[in-house]
Amino acid sequence: MSTTPESNKMITDVFVEGARKGWGIAINSTIPNIMMAFVIIKILTLTGFLDVLAKVFGPVMALFGVPGEGAAVLMAAVMSMGGGVGVAVGLLNEGALHARDIAILAPAIYLMGSTIQYAGRILGVVGVEGQRYPLMFGVCILNALLAMFVMNLLV
Amino acid sequence: MIVSTKVEEKVSFGGYIALAFAVVFFSGLLKSGEWYGVFDFTTLNGGFGKLMSNATGGMAAFRGTGGSGAADGFLFALGLVPTTMFALGMINILEHYGALRVARKLLTPLLRPIMGIPGSTGLAIIGSLQSTDVGASLTKALENEGELNKTERDIFTAFQFSGGAMIVNFFGSGAILFTLTDTTGAAVPGSIGLALVVMFVFKIVGANVVRFFLNATGKKEAKPQVAEVR
Repeated sequence: MSTTPESNKMITDVFVEGARKGWGIAINSTIPNIMMAFVIIKILTLTGFLDVLAKVFGPVMALFGVPGEGAAVLMAAVMSMGGGVGVAVGLLNEGALHARDIAILAPAIYLMGSTIQYAGRILGVVGVEGQRYPLMFGVCILNALLAMFVMNLLV
Repeated sequence: MIVSTKVEEKVSFGGYIALAFAVVFFSGLLKSGEWYGVFDFTTLNGGFGKLMSNATGGMAAFRGTGGSGAADGFLFALGLVPTTMFALGMINILEHYGALRVARKLLTPLLRPIMGIPGSTGLAIIGSLQSTDVGASLTKALENEGELNKTERDIFTAFQFSGGAMIVNFFGSGAILFTLTDTTGAAVPGSIGLALVVMFVFKIVGANVVRFFLNATGKKEAKPQVAEVR
């Protein structure tokens, strides 16, 4: 945020600078995450574990208008947001999730996403007491579930 | 790293235009092939063309069909790269013209009523939407400067922890979700803007859950806390 509107940088340069950041994110995060997710989904499909997951979580996920496979997206999201997106994209590609399911899951991926690593980078840095950690994780999960409920009504 | 929480930034008229533009641009309201489609992210993002599948003129998607595993994942992900680059390019422009400074100015007087935290956290809030590390270090600094007490700090931390670095993370990976179509050919409904609003609202809801939890349990803890004070 060091730039000011007064600085005479060309708008095209500003765009290119941002697009370059996007390229960095794409090659360092998007492509590796989605590739990993496609491999995991292939493993889950070949072993039949995806069907098990779908049956076990089907009733719970049905509350939010999403098939049981959606649970895999949320589990991956807790590890990393990019991983959650990767699994969502992979399942969409398999036909296990449909367009509407993706819209319902999208905000939830971020609201409970990357919490494992952010526990160190946010809770640890701020110095939140250990006894408050369950509350903080609980709030993230609650936020994600409520957001799915609302998205189910909106889309 | 030395962080100062007391930074005065100028808010320009252009910033208001940039913020208003951002709201329209990512809302999907002007998604169209007409001229006003230039004010819509998905429209300008466009799509790949089809390849000739054989000499007689059949068409195929550049990714192909029937692939699976790592190889298919790579080619699929490659197709998402332009969306990520375009989204981050636009965000950089909006930030450059002061959209986030205006958002901070508009948000500051609302922080006490909606989350029970002081307006001085405005800079940290906007910072936390872009980087978890900036948000966390500014929060620590605010507490050290006496701007935040422990309860306010925990409320504010809950806001940051759910959906950390929301803007950068979402535009870096989540925005692509709203450009996809499924196996039946249906496009993902909703919009980037809708998802952002829902996430922002629930970040605030989550902060309030912590706020009420700490207020409810705080009374019981009040006595031992007093005893512990030097």
